[in-house]
Amino acid sequence: MTDTPVIRTRGLTKRYRGTDALVDLDLEVSPGEVVGYLGPNGAGKTTTIRLLLGLIRPTSGTAQLFGLDSLQDAVAVHRRLAYVSGEPSLWPNLTGAEALHLLGQVQGTVDVPYRDDLVERFALDPSKKVRAYSKGNRQKVVLIAALASRPDLLVLDEPTAGLDPLMVHEFRSCVLEAKGRGRTVFLSSHLLSEVEALCDRVGVLSEGRLIEMGTLAEMRHLSAVTVEVTFEGDAPDLSTVDGVLSASANGRHASLQVRGSMEPLLKVLATSGVRQLRSREPSLEELFLTLYGDHDGASPHDG
Amino acid sequence: MTVDVVDAPVAGTGAASAGRSPASVVLRRTARRTIRSGAAWGYVFGAIVISSAWSYSGIYKTPAQRTALATAFGSNRTTIALFGPAPHLDTVAGFTVFKTFLTLTLVGAVWGLLTATKLLRGEEDTGRWELLLSGATTRGRATAQALVGLLAGVTALWAVTALLLVVAGRSSRVAIAPGAGLFFALSLVAGALMFTAVGALTSQLSPTRRQAAGYAGAFLGVSYALRLVADSGTGLHWLVWCTPVGWVEGLQPLTSPRWLPFVPIVAFVVVVGAVAVRLAAARDIGSSTLPDRDRAEPRLRLLDGQLGLSVRLLRPTLVAWAAALVVTGLVFGLVAEGAGRSLSGSSVRDVFSRLGASGSGASAYLGVTFLIVAVLLAFTAATQVTAARSEELEGRLDPLLTRTVTRRSWLAGRLLVAVVALATCATLAGLAMSAGAAAGGAHLGAATVVGAGLNTLAPSVCVLGLGVLVFGIAPRAAAPAVYAVVAWSILVDVVGGFGGIDHWLADTSVFHQMAAAPSVPPNWQAIGWMVATGLIASAAGCAAFVRRDLQDA
Repeated sequence: MTDTPVIRTRGLTKRYRGTDALVDLDLEVSPGEVVGYLGPNGAGKTTTIRLLLGLIRPTSGTAQLFGLDSLQDAVAVHRRLAYVSGEPSLWPNLTGAEALHLLGQVQGTVDVPYRDDLVERFALDPSKKVRAYSKGNRQKVVLIAALASRPDLLVLDEPTAGLDPLMVHEFRSCVLEAKGRGRTVFLSSHLLSEVEALCDRVGVLSEGRLIEMGTLAEMRHLSAVTVEVTFEGDAPDLSTVDGVLSASANGRHASLQVRGSMEPLLKVLATSGVRQLRSREPSLEELFLTLYGDHDGASPHDG
Repeated sequence: MTVDVVDAPVAGTGAASAGRSPASVVLRRTARRTIRSGAAWGYVFGAIVISSAWSYSGIYKTPAQRTALATAFGSNRTTIALFGPAPHLDTVAGFTVFKTFLTLTLVGAVWGLLTATKLLRGEEDTGRWELLLSGATTRGRATAQALVGLLAGVTALWAVTALLLVVAGRSSRVAIAPGAGLFFALSLVAGALMFTAVGALTSQLSPTRRQAAGYAGAFLGVSYALRLVADSGTGLHWLVWCTPVGWVEGLQPLTSPRWLPFVPIVAFVVVVGAVAVRLAAARDIGSSTLPDRDRAEPRLRLLDGQLGLSVRLLRPTLVAWAAALVVTGLVFGLVAEGAGRSLSGSSVRDVFSRLGASGSGASAYLGVTFLIVAVLLAFTAATQVTAARSEELEGRLDPLLTRTVTRRSWLAGRLLVAVVALATCATLAGLAMSAGAAAGGAHLGAATVVGAGLNTLAPSVCVLGLGVLVFGIAPRAAAPAVYAVVAWSILVDVVGGFGGIDHWLADTSVFHQMAAAPSVPPNWQAIGWMVATGLIASAAGCAAFVRRDLQDA
């Protein structure tokens, strides 16, 4: 059973009246993986998740979870997963405790001591009615209900929208706990720091197409390295040096994006009176900008 | 019902909006939306008035026929109680007022309270109000602006109605003088005006739009019931001055117009509107004036699955409808004997038999009043369809369907709960009517009257099924479609009941299909057809729902 991918889609496509919400998605997620799913608003993240959950039907292609069809075997699939939406909607007249009870009942399994523990950890007041909750508090109810069922697969669609930083921290430790127990997590987000902190692999979606899929380390090579240089005098023009993609100078300070070999740049710098030199790996944010910045021009693969 | 996006406050980029003051955004927004709807209803009002005036001359051709009609109805307690006083039935004007005035006043009042609660509390519920208020205005001022915007909508309703009446009034068959037409149009919108103000007030009092509309609707129900008692000839006629619906009735347009009732009407609107603005200024956004219980001990008994949840969600609505039906039933039951005794004359029987109630006396009277129960039940059925749709639209279906609940069991469960609730309401209405009739001295078998209550269930099952069918195929059209079925059925049957309507057209009304028990025995064949239609449509709707995409906001 461990060889069966938790999520597997083949040519998954969804069109709405001429617009392509999702095109030809082939996705595979193995047991125990934490996969990040990145993309700007409207890229198709939520469409993918709603297809996986059987809430909408694909125009073509298939989605399998735990080796079962997401539409035909919806109930069997749902028994083993929990889903957290970024726009949590609950019944305004139920209290938090009532909503948690109901969600646990329709889920089928619930670890009650763990749920009580989560209520403590997320500092939720369960005696309040849902309509009196802020968005963050409604999000907590949905998160607690999902985590407390201890599912094999957590499907999270921008789960921390509306949570304050302390609660985001708490959420991350819960996801890492689940990962430690060998659970699979599918996390859609546009918060790169969140994905960077939690995920083994990242998929990047743009305009309904999966344009990149890999580990963070693999993806870093796609992007330039940032080099920050401080000179003794005014910064020279370095934009024509081989390998330098872009350069911006501000007095004695220059910031460069370099791809490929550093040697031509180092040769120039050796004779330029450098006071300080720093280089760093691109952050996921920069990676992201590279991917989308290049999207209408050259693809990130060339160069 | 369409969902508008917030366009006014952010669309500051175009040259068109550059010159406008941001302070009047709420006014312009509200006005634009109500004027459209007010004008549309103005056409309906005008068309109904004109068509009934037109048809009168065709049906009651000779003076003798008209005199017979006038003697039969002019002093008839039953019809006066239901449709208001009926003087001068031997004239086109008198007949037109009798047939359309009170009905359209009620329609206008419902329009007013729904529009006001939608644009005030509804906008606040969805959070759009918050966006508007972050601009250069305050709560009180924004509410005052919205009230002026709503007033513009009522003015549009009046203007279109008046225009149609003045233009058509020139025809010799309609024959309404321009001045009388303007006054009649003003009288027709008086109810809309007052209940717009009531809706604005209840929007401040209650925490949700649904509850705000519920309070305003309950106030309308009480106003109508008071007027009904006042006109029942029980020596309580002074009560007519204690109810907004009574004031409207007192205007007596076309027949003997009086301006005096406009004093309480205008005073009412001014006072209620001012209180609404004061309350709005004094409260926080998203809160309500009446205490809202935000904290509660958990009650988990029903929350073990989606069926229990459906019961729990429906319970408050069910209690309110059941209470309204019991009160209505008791009142109608009590006056049945007295009202039935005055049922005489062939013309009355003629009209009653067009409405489906043959015979005379209390049982014919109850036959027509159960028609009203059937209309209320059909509305309850329609609200259940829209409630199901809003669960989907607002995303509350997702947490169920992504767990172990299937679409089929969810929809079937909701339908089952709705049908049981409707049956409960029908039975309660029958029991209340039976108890009221017995207390009022009418000798009717309890079983017959309760059976007549259950008889009203068939149209609402049919409406429910048709609503589910549209919900399954085209969810966005579900709410408009299901209300259209009910509204169409009312117009065709109740207005058409006075004659002048084709048989095949009348047959399209679910209420026309229902036999007017207890005056006649239930029509089992029609019941069978309606229930079968409801069941088949439900099953088809269910099958379509399982196969389509969920459509959230």
